[in-house]
Amino acid sequence: MCGALALGCGGRPSSWDAPYVAANQNGLAPAYGLTGSVAVVDTALKRVTMLSAPSSLTLTSRSIGLGTDLVAARVSADRKTLFALSRGVQPQRTPGDERPQLLLIDGGTTPQISQRYTLTEPMDQLALDPQNEWAVVYSGAGVVVNLNELVLVNLSQTGADALSFKTLLSFGGSPRRFTFTTPLAVPGGDPRRFLIVERDADLVLIDLAAPEREAVTVPLPSTDTGGTASSAQVAYDADSASIAVRVTGTTSVFMLQLAAPASAAQNFSVVTNLVDVGAQPSAIDFVHNSQGLRLVALVGSSAVLVDPDTATTQSVQMPAAFSGIRRITNELNPAAAAASDGDVALLYGPNIPKIAYFNLSGAPGALFRSIESYDIGVAVKNVIDVPGERYFDRKILETPSQQFYVLDLRTRESAPMKTNAGLTLEVAPDGERVWAYNPGQTGFASVDFANLHPVSLIAERGVSNVFDIESGDGQRAAVALHLAGSAGIGATVLSALSPSTAYAHFYSGLELGGVK
Amino acid sequence: MSARFGLSSLLLVAFSVGSPSAHAEPLAEHQPYAQASLGVRVGKVSDSGYDPFSSSDELTQFSLGLGGTFYRHQRFSLAGVGFWDYGEKSSTARGASTELDVHRLTIGPELRYHLLPPLYFFVHALPAFAHTSASLQDSVAQVTRHARHWSYGVDAAGGAAFEVYGAATGFPRPRIWIIAEGGYGYLGSTSLEMLPDVGEGPQRPASVDLGSVSLAGPYFRASAAVGF
Repeated sequence: MCGALALGCGGRPSSWDAPYVAANQNGLAPAYGLTGSVAVVDTALKRVTMLSAPSSLTLTSRSIGLGTDLVAARVSADRKTLFALSRGVQPQRTPGDERPQLLLIDGGTTPQISQRYTLTEPMDQLALDPQNEWAVVYSGAGVVVNLNELVLVNLSQTGADALSFKTLLSFGGSPRRFTFTTPLAVPGGDPRRFLIVERDADLVLIDLAAPEREAVTVPLPSTDTGGTASSAQVAYDADSASIAVRVTGTTSVFMLQLAAPASAAQNFSVVTNLVDVGAQPSAIDFVHNSQGLRLVALVGSSAVLVDPDTATTQSVQMPAAFSGIRRITNELNPAAAAASDGDVALLYGPNIPKIAYFNLSGAPGALFRSIESYDIGVAVKNVIDVPGERYFDRKILETPSQQFYVLDLRTRESAPMKTNAGLTLEVAPDGERVWAYNPGQTGFASVDFANLHPVSLIAERGVSNVFDIESGDGQRAAVALHLAGSAGIGATVLSALSPSTAYAHFYSGLELGGVK
Repeated sequence: MSARFGLSSLLLVAFSVGSPSAHAEPLAEHQPYAQASLGVRVGKVSDSGYDPFSSSDELTQFSLGLGGTFYRHQRFSLAGVGFWDYGEKSSTARGASTELDVHRLTIGPELRYHLLPPLYFFVHALPAFAHTSASLQDSVAQVTRHARHWSYGVDAAGGAAFEVYGAATGFPRPRIWIIAEGGYGYLGSTSLEMLPDVGEGPQRPASVDLGSVSLAGPYFRASAAVGF
């Protein structure tokens, strides 16, 4: 009939035949929370649907194209920007085929593309600098792949000038983890930032002030049995330009001291040392006590203090075998932290129903009195920071069970919060409250740090994520997403400041917006 | 091209069959006092608002027509005609089932010219009233959303009718006509803000805004009619 009548011919864009499917591939999450919007990844249409709230009870959506073959997406540490890495059209057949790119989307109340970096080759992995100065793209999948080639993206620049291509000399292996340091006070030069690349059997140090200069590769020590070791954790101290590496399979901590260049070809040199702490440590960190800088290594039921200059050690008995350490000096006294001669650290562990405060300001001989433990009845698997300026002295203690604790570091009081199901926590970017939910269930709750009053809420559909965003009118909106398989994109939006489902609005069909 | 070929063929048949009796038969008996038709209307809807409801631009409707001649002057006659066209289209929009029901009522004058007793040509411009009911199965809200609206426009078309059965003389005797017309049907846009019916689905549901749809476009109608 179509041909005979010459009327009905013509189709529709194929987008209408591509169901939305919540992203679940490696490197991608279904949704990302930003400061003023929520990004829902829609890989079927190569786009992200940005949800923003004009007011605390309304939601609008806008779709932004992400490029072909999205492989990784990350949110910046300040949650202001979404980074999306795509491989483009592969293989390239025409000059107009889309190139690989790194796209930056401003996640404010009016989401928009803020920057686009075109790459020369498709790559799969993305690492971000917590200070938003750098991004690293690496690990390609071409016919020939240089596993040790990094593309350093200077986020303060635009276009091709922003890209630096760096091939790391290798003793074998490929990049596994990246640490962007704060400015390290390296002798013989201005303080500058470094990128520490952890690979299978070595570390690479890249001076970010001169990334074109040759990187320094430092092989890791062998295990105690002579095998190949790998790094498990990197810690650094900015003032002394010291780096410590916790290495698997050895009772020693690998210490690196960045020093003045030994030759004109260098812009810094590295002095290494191995310090035996008696057993394999479970965590390390740098602290200051009254005698200066020390490395703390948690070893069984002991905390071993290492003097980086002399490699001498001092052991302190802990009330339990804590395996996690978090420096909390800044949170307790932000004004005096820079000049502090005694740090305070929080000790915890996933198998110990206690936490402890490790106060390093006492005299060296009184270390045995420096650890004060508190029995909270549950183990702590993770310590979550609270952003913002109001409740920075609070920590969220995430437990392996269906509870979490809000810990006031000043009063040392902890408020247990019991949930009736599993637990996922989302701290509001303004640092005023924490949201708890169990993905797939309808129940979710907010706990306001001002009064620790929990407000339990029941959505009308299962909740996959909860995000707390700034609304266009300067208030805050809570967006409870309803993403389940290929059903579509839905959300319940309610005021984050006075949450109540009695006034919430329900949105769905958001995947249908802007289809062309 | 094929439509033009069809019309030419029809004319050729008309001349070959109708010419011998053209001077013998009285024309008025072939100018139907009343006529009822049944047929199919196929329209092309190119508006992007139609895309969620159809994988093609075609909209096929069942067509029922009524008409009556109220003025005759030699080969010319003026009739009043009206049509009710009904059609539905279903599809999926990104996996969600969709459906569009369209009722279209048109009524107005039709000018006819009898080239031969069994063949006449006509033109008409008919005011149109359409009711569209769009629905969307919302899997997240677990509810059916609707957008129901009236819209208004006009159908402007021309065509030809050929008498395929009927006595040469005598009145009243039924005559059967085959009618073909083509033209353009204009209809205004209607909103596609899809909402559940009151009391259904989640509390305070926001609409799913699919924009708007206009069912305007060229169309072709083929029908068979009984006339007296």
